Amino acid sequence: MTDLSTAPVAEAVERPPLWYKDVVIYQLHIKAFFDSNNDGIGDFKGLAQKLDYIQDLGVNAVWLLPFYPSPLKDDGYDVSDYHNVHPQYGTRADFRAFVREAHRRGLKVITELVVNHTSDAHPWFQAARRAPPGSRKRNWYVWSDNEQKYRGTRIIFTDTEASNWAWDPVAKQYYWHRFFSHQPDLNFDNPSVLKAVFRVMRFWLDIGVDAFRLDAIPYLCEREGTNNENLPETHAVLKKIRALIDANYEGRMLLAEANQWPEDVREYFGDGDECHMAFHFPLMPRMYMAIAQEDRFPVTEIMQQTPDIPELCQWAIFLRNHDELTLEMVTSKERDYMYRMYAADLQARINLGIRRRLAPLMENDPARIRLLQSLLFSMSGSPVLYYGDEIGMGDNIYLGDRNGVRTPMQWSPDRNAGFSRADPQRLYLPPIMDPIYGFESVNVEAQARNPNSQLNWMKRMLATRKSSQAFGRGRLEFLRPGNRKILAYLREYGNDVILCVANLARSAQPVELDLKRFKGRVPVEMFGRTVFPPVGDLPYMLTLPAHGFYWFRLATDAAPPDWHAEALVSEDTPMMVLFDGWLSFFSDQVVPWRIGMAEKLKAQLEGEVLPRYIAAQRWYAAKGEPVRRAVLKDSVIWDVGGLSWLLALAEVNDCPYFLPFALGWEEDEDHVRALAAGTVARVRQQANVGVLAEAVMDEGFCRHVVKAIGAGRTLPTAKGKLVFTPTAAFGAIAGDDVAGLNLGRVQAQTTNTSITLGERLFLKFYRRVRPGVNPELEIGRYLTEQAGYKNCVPVAGAVEYSSDQKEPATLALLQAYVPNQGDGWSYTLDYLERYMESRRSITDPLKEEPPPREVHGAYLALAQTLAVRTAELHRAFAAGLTAPFRPEPLTAEDVAAWKARVAKEAEETLALVERRQPEKTELAGRRRQLLQRIERCAAPAGPAMKIRHHGDYHLGQVLLASNDFLIIDFEGEPSRPLAESRRKHSPLRDVAGMLRSFNYAKWSALMRLAQADPAFDRLHASMNAWEAVVRAAFLDSYAQASAGAGLFASFDDVRGLLSLFEIEKVLYELRYELDNRPTWVHIPLQGLAALLEEKP
Amino acid sequence: MSDTLSFLIEPARAFLVHVGQMLPRVLIAIAVVVVGWMVAKIVRFATLKGLRAVNFHVLTQRAGMDGFLHDGGVRADTTEILALLLYWLVVLAALVMGFNLLDLSYITDLLMRVVLFVPKVLVAVLILAFGAYFARFVDNAITVYCRNAHIQDAELLGRVARYAIVTFVVLIALDQMNIGGDIVRETFLIIVAGIVFALALAFGLGGKDWAAEFLERWWPRRRR
Repeated sequence: MTDLSTAPVAEAVERPPLWYKDVVIYQLHIKAFFDSNNDGIGDFKGLAQKLDYIQDLGVNAVWLLPFYPSPLKDDGYDVSDYHNVHPQYGTRADFRAFVREAHRRGLKVITELVVNHTSDAHPWFQAARRAPPGSRKRNWYVWSDNEQKYRGTRIIFTDTEASNWAWDPVAKQYYWHRFFSHQPDLNFDNPSVLKAVFRVMRFWLDIGVDAFRLDAIPYLCEREGTNNENLPETHAVLKKIRALIDANYEGRMLLAEANQWPEDVREYFGDGDECHMAFHFPLMPRMYMAIAQEDRFPVTEIMQQTPDIPELCQWAIFLRNHDELTLEMVTSKERDYMYRMYAADLQARINLGIRRRLAPLMENDPARIRLLQSLLFSMSGSPVLYYGDEIGMGDNIYLGDRNGVRTPMQWSPDRNAGFSRADPQRLYLPPIMDPIYGFESVNVEAQARNPNSQLNWMKRMLATRKSSQAFGRGRLEFLRPGNRKILAYLREYGNDVILCVANLARSAQPVELDLKRFKGRVPVEMFGRTVFPPVGDLPYMLTLPAHGFYWFRLATDAAPPDWHAEALVSEDTPMMVLFDGWLSFFSDQVVPWRIGMAEKLKAQLEGEVLPRYIAAQRWYAAKGEPVRRAVLKDSVIWDVGGLSWLLALAEVNDCPYFLPFALGWEEDEDHVRALAAGTVARVRQQANVGVLAEAVMDEGFCRHVVKAIGAGRTLPTAKGKLVFTPTAAFGAIAGDDVAGLNLGRVQAQTTNTSITLGERLFLKFYRRVRPGVNPELEIGRYLTEQAGYKNCVPVAGAVEYSSDQKEPATLALLQAYVPNQGDGWSYTLDYLERYMESRRSITDPLKEEPPPREVHGAYLALAQTLAVRTAELHRAFAAGLTAPFRPEPLTAEDVAAWKARVAKEAEETLALVERRQPEKTELAGRRRQLLQRIERCAAPAGPAMKIRHHGDYHLGQVLLASNDFLIIDFEGEPSRPLAESRRKHSPLRDVAGMLRSFNYAKWSALMRLAQADPAFDRLHASMNAWEAVVRAAFLDSYAQASAGAGLFASFDDVRGLLSLFEIEKVLYELRYELDNRPTWVHIPLQGLAALLEEKP
Repeated sequence: MSDTLSFLIEPARAFLVHVGQMLPRVLIAIAVVVVGWMVAKIVRFATLKGLRAVNFHVLTQRAGMDGFLHDGGVRADTTEILALLLYWLVVLAALVMGFNLLDLSYITDLLMRVVLFVPKVLVAVLILAFGAYFARFVDNAITVYCRNAHIQDAELLGRVARYAIVTFVVLIALDQMNIGGDIVRETFLIIVAGIVFALALAFGLGGKDWAAEFLERWWPRRRR
């Protein structure tokens, strides 16, 4: 059970040095997040209370803006004491408690290291200005007697500052400041400064801070005659800082803020010996530009200019942050364009940027907001999410400076947005109150309850991003489809390939992608886990809605959608050269000088072409075993009406399979296309090119099989004969216009291939030739012709093969086609996924779920119907009069024999578990308990019956049709011999099978959806409740519907037997999973554990 | 008395002496024939198996000979006929040897002729088999080629070629067996001449206007 929890995610963050590669950072202001003491300003205690929210969101690091004591003239970036917490936000103890809580939730803590400058209120500056010029103390800052020094340096805050020098009347000198005049720059040429910085770093690292964001890092050092940015001396300082961390701490990180062009920022990674991460500033405005221009060029261009960074380094990317949307890293033309598009209101402009949040920039258009977020989360780098953007918060551009994007977090529609209970006047800033973005319409509480809200969408997005490391670590490669409005790129990390496609336009767009390199891979849409048709030779065509986007995993382990038909014959299909049609394979039927060729061709077919084809087929039973040879044991060339097929029985690894073949020639393109999905080989005969394919894909073949069944034909083969027999119902089912029926969908299943003909007939070809009476045919006939049971599929006929030595084997079965909505299994899984999807996104603790009986009312009604149909089936069997169906009394010996068998199987299964998965020790310890449990299963006290039964009854064996069920597939368990499925047994075996199927459905749905989900435990509990009510409903209805049929005295009397059969089924499942899907073993293991807990 | 007796006995004695002299030779002759018959059976069996093993039956079947025989009410296929011919060849050879032992030269001569004729029949059958297969092959090749080249009546052309070859082959086979001699040759010439004449007529009649047009162009009549 634990292996289904959030383990992989926690691990990704925990793995010491590289957590920042996969991280999603949540950036927030202490003052803006949550106010615990109601003074109008957020604080650490408040933040600690909201850590659950942050964790639930799915991010894995919190980046705190400066929280140090400060005059707060620059939002805390003017630090006046590096070793303390601003009293408004709490105490150092509060901070320690917060770090502890964050770590407990697997969240990393990133703080600001603002060491380029201090506040002018900092004691260092106060001491410096008073110290005599040239003294040690004075030298902590950069002084000059005039303003002419460093003249080539640009001014950053053009709106407020006229010079980088400010006159200090106390010191009687100018001091250097790159930012506001109240923020004097520290002098890093003075070794004492660096030492002091080291002390500061050690102080916070020792408390447990995981990373520093290095503020304004390019400006540390100054040299005359340069622009004083990115100086080698600055890099030298950074290397020292990094060396300190590497020498003393593990798993810590440095994040550089360098608002520079990529080639300059690249320097801040050094050779992996400076910063671990750096912001990618130029990418951000270009993502906005790409959407505004509806052209991918801005993004592809800047990413092309981005140099490679050292292996262990990572970009940090963002859409919005606490500053303005900076346009420093765009050309002036581009800046004008951005201003026109996004800041038509002059009030929104500040410095060289736009002071707006994401939602207002996108005019609150959810599609565009989500598109941008999707780009952020899939581009190369670790994304940074600014607080409030997850709910689409707005801004207030009239608040001055950049305060408009720093307003209180909107928790609820209560007073002050639920942020604080202080008087609204006391708040550090007023919350957003306009009608669109105001806290009454945009807040966490409302969005948590709405499954389709921005917040819940974001959670799903982050959960999806976590499912692959390719997002954080993969190589980025842009595709260049002809349609420039589509931005498409691949993220590759090892074998993990993700394809991201985004439509930048405001209208739907088609695109053709060149994915040849990934031919054969199956794109799996990552949000809905929908499987798309596999990548082939042609460009991959997609259509995207306006501002839509897709993330696909190009999977090598996923099967193509079952409705997908290969329309083109793959080029790597082997080629066979025929010289005489079908006869080319038979050396005894060709002219003398071609005997050698025929022998060679047959060897190619048997040793190379067929094994390759068969190994890839679903119906090939021995999956683990490679196909060495497929030897044609018996065959006949069937010529009807100018058409010709080769019906062959091939022995594959000593097991006979039925393989009908057809030839399709190029001249008849439609025919070749229809055969494409079953193409075994490409063939050429002189100038004719075509395909050798499975005849089951051939419309003509299927029609002729039906006709032959209707006519009751016999077809002699080389060593036996094929017998086509109709049942009495043939005429009524097939009608008399078989020639007009169109071939419908061909479905490959585990044991057979089935075809629908014109919504009327259902033709099923069994692949493995199993001699003996086919129970499906026998029971189908019985139920249709004698019992008159309505909820099964009537049988119209069969094709049987008999050779001299053995009993006849059924090769094909013709049934009526019953329109249906798919099988119970897919219906149940879809239902559970929908249910979980709705449960997962709703995290509002106030909203309690109604009792499961109400929630699942509709599904329970179906389960009850299913139980009634099951009971009716058993009643029909109990009424049997002929020998194969006549019921027999269930004796005490029967029960004893069954118990002995189950006990034996239990021993075998335990031995198998020990052999295959020795680490699963918990079961071995419960061996005795298991055997006792089997022994405790009470035999019924009253009379009971043994009857024919379904034998392999589960949700996949019932079809849903207009809220009712049809029971299909009476073959029994495929791995057991036919004679065993025909033996009479207790009907409770079917009931036990269905109960196990509900359990499987629960786990499959959980595994598909909730793995690596933080809400796993909650969902697990809901799903357990579902299983409990469905079980109860099914059993109750079955007990009622079967009462009085004489199957047993009372349902309670046979509960012991039911448990026995459940154990039997679980053991069977365990063996099956060990052999076929070792990662699923935990499902039956867990089922077994539950059965052991159960009171008999 | 003794003379009378001897007169009576002498012929009988002479006869018996003669019989005594003849009997071993007859017995040897019978033995030769019996052994020959057995060898013949073996030869027939071996031929049948050998020809079947190299798929000779497939060849004759494809050549249309088996079908031809079948249509004519013959149950056996060509392979069996060949085996039967060899069988009789051996049997006849044994008979020749047998009768030769008995000094029945007239019968021996007669049988000898038959024996010498059988191989010719064998060869003729082989010629027919391969020839007919070749005819079919040419037919197919021409038909496929013409069809790919989009020539009309591809099948007709193929068929014409096939029957032409079959005719040749039959004539060669007959020639091989020395049947017909001049009559066959003349018949063939007549047929070829007939075909050429028919073609000339067909072109002549069909192309009259066309020819007239050309004549007109080359030697225009004076215009009025």
